[in-house]
Amino acid sequence: MRAGGPPPPLRPLRSRGQDGGAERRRRRAMAAGRGPGAGPERCPCAPLSSGWLPALQFVRRGSKAVTRHWKAMHFQRQKLMAVTEYVAPRPAVPPRCLAPRKETREEDNGYVRLLRRQVEEVFRNNRLIAVCQYNSMPGEDVVLMRHYLRKHNIEVKFVLNEIVRPVLSQSKYKNLLPLFVARNILLVSREAKVKEMLRVLKGVPQINLLGACIDDTILSRKGVENFAKLPSLEASQGQTVGALALLPSQTSSLLQRGSAHLTALLDQHIRRLQAGETGSPAEPGPAQSSGAH
Amino acid sequence: PGGVVVPRAGLKKYVLPPDYSGIIFPERTKLKFMDKVPAVPKVRREPRRLRDIRGPSQVATDFTQGQYGIMALGGGYLHWGHFEMIRLTIGRSMDPKTMFAIWRVPAPYKPVTRKSLGHRMGGGKGPIDHYVTAVKSGCLVVEVGGRCEFGEVKPFLTQVARKLPFPAVAVSRDGLRQMRQEEEEKKLNNQNPWTFERVVTANMLGMRKYLSPYDLRLKGRYWGKFFLKHRV
Repeated sequence: MRAGGPPPPLRPLRSRGQDGGAERRRRRAMAAGRGPGAGPERCPCAPLSSGWLPALQFVRRGSKAVTRHWKAMHFQRQKLMAVTEYVAPRPAVPPRCLAPRKETREEDNGYVRLLRRQVEEVFRNNRLIAVCQYNSMPGEDVVLMRHYLRKHNIEVKFVLNEIVRPVLSQSKYKNLLPLFVARNILLVSREAKVKEMLRVLKGVPQINLLGACIDDTILSRKGVENFAKLPSLEASQGQTVGALALLPSQTSSLLQRGSAHLTALLDQHIRRLQAGETGSPAEPGPAQSSGAH
Repeated sequence: PGGVVVPRAGLKKYVLPPDYSGIIFPERTKLKFMDKVPAVPKVRREPRRLRDIRGPSQVATDFTQGQYGIMALGGGYLHWGHFEMIRLTIGRSMDPKTMFAIWRVPAPYKPVTRKSLGHRMGGGKGPIDHYVTAVKSGCLVVEVGGRCEFGEVKPFLTQVARKLPFPAVAVSRDGLRQMRQEEEEKKLNNQNPWTFERVVTANMLGMRKYLSPYDLRLKGRYWGKFFLKHRV
């Protein structure tokens, strides 16, 4: 804000009595070496918004500029300090109301990448992948269980949820995500020996089967049990072949049914005739009928 | 997700140890002993010249050899007692094999006179009583460095900083850089259109009648020997 023109130079008060001894004003112009009655001088270093050097300045009374105590500021200075305080920026929408920005963590941890690659390999190579809940077991029981499963070529894998979840969410096994919540283990195998696996798991009460993915088919616990009850592949193949071969095997008997029926009827008739006439020569009868076939 | 989530530890993230390759240890790792009186004591008594306390520091504002230090946030005088306190505390708390400490302020050089107790005013200037070092705000007092982290060094640096006659704070290189950055940001995003600097340089409302010519340089952040941190 510009002051309304330079104020006229004030005459110095010579007498102490008028001032009350409180403040004395000195002519700064005198000190600067210019003549009395001079107006305020232009400040040479002032910016374009014209500031000017005050001709008169208060001599600070009392203490010096630098004191040990906090020197009391002139009221005008206090007002200036209050006016020129820092005002922090306030956005139109407070950050509380906006959704929190989730900072994506960089996975440049080589170990994490290695574990993820291993999980992807597991899902690619194995036919049977069963997810089980794992409650704490004594160490020797874990070793025994692993031994029995290893005999049937089933491996037990411990994986961290925080690694499996991102891997699954990006692959086609998205529906397995709800299973990987609490402590769990993976039983993986190249062949699908479900019956043996279930038998072993029945002996271990701390492991509960949650679900499985057999040949890219997601099965629940009941589904796995049903799958186990299914006959083996060879048996089912044999069953199918037998069912298909059933009809052709009946074809010959179907075709021969008419003539077999006629033969049986004639045989019966002959026996009745033989039973009717005892001792009558009935050989030519049956010999003729047998020669007719 | 369904099921009870039992909190358990996730994957351990291995942090690489810090790299201390570019650190040069000085010859003496402990702080040098500072004399009470300079080698050539002053004969002539000097005026008080309190302007060596006022305003921001021009010397020793940045780190040279060390990584952590004590920065003064106000002006003041350090006498021999302070120097001894700093030297002994830091010497006691640091490990001279892995850490080093250096002074960033000179030994006491400024003579301070004192009149004998219980006499009336007058009779000339008193004799020299002791020597002090002047410290302005923003000046580093000591620097500590070596194969150590800020967390190890901070406790005893803050302990020392509390005992100094002016407000001081333990800083690291990063911390100092961040402080300066925040100051710049505050200056830029200040919503108040009226700043002390603007008012003083344009002499709005004749404010310079109540201000000192030094306020052109100090810009309202300094008052006497005090540094007003909260001002923009």
